[in-house]
Amino acid sequence: MSEGEGEFLKVSGLDVAYGGIRALHSVSLRVDRREIVAVIGANGAGKSTLLKAIAGVLRPESGELSFEGSSLPRQSYQAVRRGVTLVPEGRRIFASLSVQENLALGAYACPDRSAVRAALERVYGLFPVLAARKGQQGGTLSGGEQQMLAIGRALMSGPRILLLDEPSLGLAPLIVDLLFDTIAALNDESGLAILLVEQNATMALELCDRAYVLESGAMRLEGKGEELLADPRVRESYLGVGA
Amino acid sequence: MILFMQQLVNGLSIGAVYALLAVGYALVYSVYNFTNWAFDAFMVVGAFAAYYCITLFGLPLPVAIGLAMLVTAGVAVSVEVGAYRPLRVRQAPRLFMMISAMGASMAIVNIVNLAFGGSFRKFPEISSASVELGGVYIGRMDLFAIVFSFVSLSALWLLLGKTRIGLGIRASAIDTVTAGLMGINNNSVAIIVFGVSGVLSAIAGVFFGAKYAVYPYLGLVTTKAMIASIIGGIGSLPGAVVGSLLLGVIETFVSAYISSVYRDLISFTILVLVLLFFPNGIMGAKTVDKL
Ligand SMILES: Nc1ncnc2c1ncn2[C@@H]1O[C@H](COP(=O)(O)OP(=O)(O)OP(=O)(O)O)[C@@H](O)[C@H]1O
Ligand SMILES: [Mg+2]
Repeated sequence: MSEGEGEFLKVSGLDVAYGGIRALHSVSLRVDRREIVAVIGANGAGKSTLLKAIAGVLRPESGELSFEGSSLPRQSYQAVRRGVTLVPEGRRIFASLSVQENLALGAYACPDRSAVRAALERVYGLFPVLAARKGQQGGTLSGGEQQMLAIGRALMSGPRILLLDEPSLGLAPLIVDLLFDTIAALNDESGLAILLVEQNATMALELCDRAYVLESGAMRLEGKGEELLADPRVRESYLGVGA
Repeated sequence: MILFMQQLVNGLSIGAVYALLAVGYALVYSVYNFTNWAFDAFMVVGAFAAYYCITLFGLPLPVAIGLAMLVTAGVAVSVEVGAYRPLRVRQAPRLFMMISAMGASMAIVNIVNLAFGGSFRKFPEISSASVELGGVYIGRMDLFAIVFSFVSLSALWLLLGKTRIGLGIRASAIDTVTAGLMGINNNSVAIIVFGVSGVLSAIAGVFFGAKYAVYPYLGLVTTKAMIASIIGGIGSLPGAVVGSLLLGVIETFVSAYISSVYRDLISFTILVLVLLFFPNGIMGAKTVDKL
């Protein structure tokens, strides 16, 4: 960790189970300020479980979750208010509500109306297609537009760190490129920290500063993005390249 | 023609009472996907609270209704916090929620019965006064029932459609987990939803008690509200209103022109027919099996 900045997001010894079946075994990870960190792993490795536990959607059996030196609240609505915002897997747009209502919900906890208006302008600037469709029902947007809406909605809460669960899921490569560029720009321009979970390992490793490899609920590897891209174990198992 | 108009107004006033109940029921159903079997008890609490506010303390009707709303909202929120929340937090099957609700309902009704006795009480005199409108005599209480229902349901409509809290309630109804991710405290939403359903039940209890009598089992009429809500489309608030007015008017006409013996038979027949041709109710979206 770089000096003088203090801790940012820190997960240590996290155990999560679903009705007796362990999904995460003593998982530890950290994200520093302004950092993009990726977690890659196969289907069922526990990536979504990890993000849900951090965001307060799931209650861990044991382990520590801390943000800026104090422990994270155990309810998701409080975690958002601390600046830890999850963009869930599968986007979870409120299908029958309009684009604008979805965005307003992102800022639900923010009492300052002018700040909300400014955040809305910023999101519309970032994703002009959402501005053009603000009255449309969220469920009628295309997959790519829904992912933009999900990210825009999360940005409305004024996050300090964004937890992204498979933003590339089911999207055309062109849209994925655009989304990854946007994520990089958010990080670059406003220093927003990002914890990204992806099956699209190549793109995630190229984008991130550091990455972890999660296997069957346990952390196997950790390193810089480019190091893992070159690692033979990663190349064989996750990048589809023969060793 | 005069008789027809008279019956129409009667039907609308009983329909308005059904609408209050049906909307309270549909609101809880739309957010929590379960039937709040305790809302018959809320209605009883509302009727008794208003009755004693008037007879014991001599308060005017609007004040009595206001206090009844407060008391009933308090009871409804207590049932939510004491009987439903612990189950919801554990993600218990809906069957357990139903049993818990029935338990709460029986407990409340029996407490009322023990505390105040099971006799039928006539609501104070205000109820018999009537106003004449073009040859049609409308009971003052019938008129109040229609106006009160209209005002309170409109207020609810504005709350849900135009306010931040209303947006939060709608989001929570669509997807509780994602609502939490938006910073919405789902427990606060539950308190508001149950408080509102308590308020609506209280108004219904007062007007139903005024129309017939105040007694501990008057909550049985909530069956009609459920029928109305299902006819309208379960979980749909506009559907609940339409179904209620329809049911109220049809029942009244059946009683007036055929025989009141057939009234309930007709209610259930309508329910069966509607479900036969519109399985999701008149205005309902598709639903899956829910208790
Ligand atoms: N609600 C649940 N109940 C029971 N088991 C669950 C539940 N959710 C996830 N699991 C199990 O926990 C493990 C980890 O699931 P998780 O969703 O975290 O995987 P993932 O890495 O996100 O996978 P994917 O890449 O397919 O999204 C899996 O074995 C899964 O079957
Ligand atoms: Mg997942």
